[in-house]
Amino acid sequence: MRRTRNSRTSPAAGSALYRALTGWTFALPFTVLFLLFTAGPVAVSLVMSVTDIRSADLLDPLGVEVVGFDNYVRLFTDPKFVRACVNTAVFVGVGVPLTMALALAFALGLNSGLVRFRTAFRVGYYLPVVTSIVAISVVWRFLLQPESGLVNELLSAVGIQGPNWLNDEAFALPTLIVMAAWRNLGFAMVIFLAGLQAIPRELYEAATIDGARRWAQLRHLTVPMLAPTMLFVAVITTIAYVQYFEEPFVMTQGGPLDSTLSMAHHTYNQFGFGNYGYASAMGYVLFVVVVGLSIAWFRLLRNNVDR
Amino acid sequence: MTRPTRLLAAVLAVTLLASACGRDDDGGGAAEEGAQLDQGKASGEITVWAMGTEGEKLSVLAEDFMKENPDARVTVTPVPWDGAHNKISTAIAGQETPDVSMLGTTWIGEFANTGALDVVPSDLVSEQDFFPGAWETGVVDGTSYSVPWYVETRLLFVNRAAAEKAGITEAPATWEDLHAAVTALRTKGGAKWGIYLQPGQTGAWQTVMPFVWQNGGDIHDGTRFVLDAAPNVEALAYYESFYADGLSTRDRLREGEPEPKLLSGEIASFVSGPWHIGLLNELGGEGKFELWPMPAGPGEYTSFIGGSNLSVFKEADNRDGAWKFVSYLMRPDVQVRWYQTVSDLPAVQAAWDDPVLADDPLLATFGDQLDTAKAPPPIPTWEQIAAGVDTELEKIAKGATSPEAAATAMQEQASAIGTGN
Repeated sequence: MRRTRNSRTSPAAGSALYRALTGWTFALPFTVLFLLFTAGPVAVSLVMSVTDIRSADLLDPLGVEVVGFDNYVRLFTDPKFVRACVNTAVFVGVGVPLTMALALAFALGLNSGLVRFRTAFRVGYYLPVVTSIVAISVVWRFLLQPESGLVNELLSAVGIQGPNWLNDEAFALPTLIVMAAWRNLGFAMVIFLAGLQAIPRELYEAATIDGARRWAQLRHLTVPMLAPTMLFVAVITTIAYVQYFEEPFVMTQGGPLDSTLSMAHHTYNQFGFGNYGYASAMGYVLFVVVVGLSIAWFRLLRNNVDR
Repeated sequence: MTRPTRLLAAVLAVTLLASACGRDDDGGGAAEEGAQLDQGKASGEITVWAMGTEGEKLSVLAEDFMKENPDARVTVTPVPWDGAHNKISTAIAGQETPDVSMLGTTWIGEFANTGALDVVPSDLVSEQDFFPGAWETGVVDGTSYSVPWYVETRLLFVNRAAAEKAGITEAPATWEDLHAAVTALRTKGGAKWGIYLQPGQTGAWQTVMPFVWQNGGDIHDGTRFVLDAAPNVEALAYYESFYADGLSTRDRLREGEPEPKLLSGEIASFVSGPWHIGLLNELGGEGKFELWPMPAGPGEYTSFIGGSNLSVFKEADNRDGAWKFVSYLMRPDVQVRWYQTVSDLPAVQAAWDDPVLADDPLLATFGDQLDTAKAPPPIPTWEQIAAGVDTELEKIAKGATSPEAAATAMQEQASAIGTGN
């Protein structure tokens, strides 16, 4: 087969074309789907964000006024949006380090000491990742019930009167952060475990011979060697948390008093109200934030990775 | 292309596309009347979308309809409530609408505004047959785009034992009476909370708007929003008093929580619709609760009216058959059969004379209330305005704002959003 084909065309030009063709043929299904369902809508929503398109314009989408950056200007005078930004920043600022620290701690634990029930623990920590958020929210609401919930029962056993977690402005967001950390740490932990197992044993042996204690080993050997893994986990977790939506959507609907309203949730609501132009602008702000944070993470951790 | 050229091209493309845009100023026209229908039986394919239980059970009525109209074929597609609004929006945008769809009463203004809804034919149904509050949910700028199918209104569900202990023999008739009764339910009736009023968040306006109307207030007077008018502020202060006096919890109860609490007597009363009769009976509450109509304020005696409407789309392939199916569903005997199938309260007043409904004392309370119940104006942006109202109500309930400040905020937000026309 190959022989015949080669004999028909000139070897150099033919094989280059052939390769390009093969490459594009393989890439075609993805490219088409990407252009149609990802790049297309992204471009359309960018155009929508500079118009005043509303649900009433559905039948005549071109019959709208171009308002330039009005939507973007309006965003930052919208107290709800500002509140949503602050909530999201807190969620990311506290949630990402918390999730990563917990995941790393559990990964280190599973990687060293625990041998007997290792699989059971791995399954235990990973289970929340694969469980439906709806089921989780039902269980957590039971746990967090102010009078009869398990959490407050335990607290009252040691003499503390627990708050009404989800209905108290001060506690709702922290509660959701803890819940998100618990729900997502399994994924990060599995990645960390893989990273830990990729660190050569010999390095630890050498370090031990050099007299490094466990803490020094962790600080100067494990953490630097894990930097690429950390970058990956940090980026993935940050992207997920900036867009946090499911937890407040099913647990609090953004309340009480908007204390758990997130940017993604607010955008969702605005789409629901039919303010497509305004909601698209919000979506774009969110998009820029995600891209910006990802770049920041790369900058921050790249130096370590390259070294 | 180099980077600057590419950027320039992109900007140019967007500008070109943008210059093709522009809103036609057709303004608000005069009231329209729908074209008349053909005589005779319905025929052809009729596609219908319906939500929730209605979507699952509507085929029962469709079967009957097809027996009467052998040439017609009705296809019912059940649509989940959650995605229904989006699905219909998408269908309108893609011009792939069904012939008939069930619509939430507060959606009519929005969808009518897109120009996708057909005007109700003048010979189809008579306005007088329906509860007035229900009929008005389908009327936008004097034109009728939708026919009420079933209705619901809000009453007070009261724990009977607590009411007896508190020595309350008849339903409170005025605001003062209600406040006193709820206080008695707590102090003498042994309830932790005398009443549960939803403390803000999605849908709380449905509990509070009746107070506003009872006090002679309103949402929109036809030319502008009047959410900060004195009667509204007083109604909000009345709402606030239940929290300030410790009569209602400030924490929102989740789905499934109020029913057992009412039956156990922890909460002596709450405001809800007819579906709670079934929910309470399922929990073994039969005979353990009673219904009170909403009190009359200084203004009129009224409550909130909800339910669902039926609309035909302009793009309907079978307009004639679609409206005939709708008018079939509005026949009093069919409305009664529908009540027996899914417990939806008939929107057609004549259906209430049927012994099935007339002989049920609990339902009679709902029937009386429906005569005067009101709905919010059918403005396209209502859902968004209502969300703002709900947020302010939450602040009132939590004691984070005053009724005056909340009313001002509601008015400002509503005015900024506008009516979308």
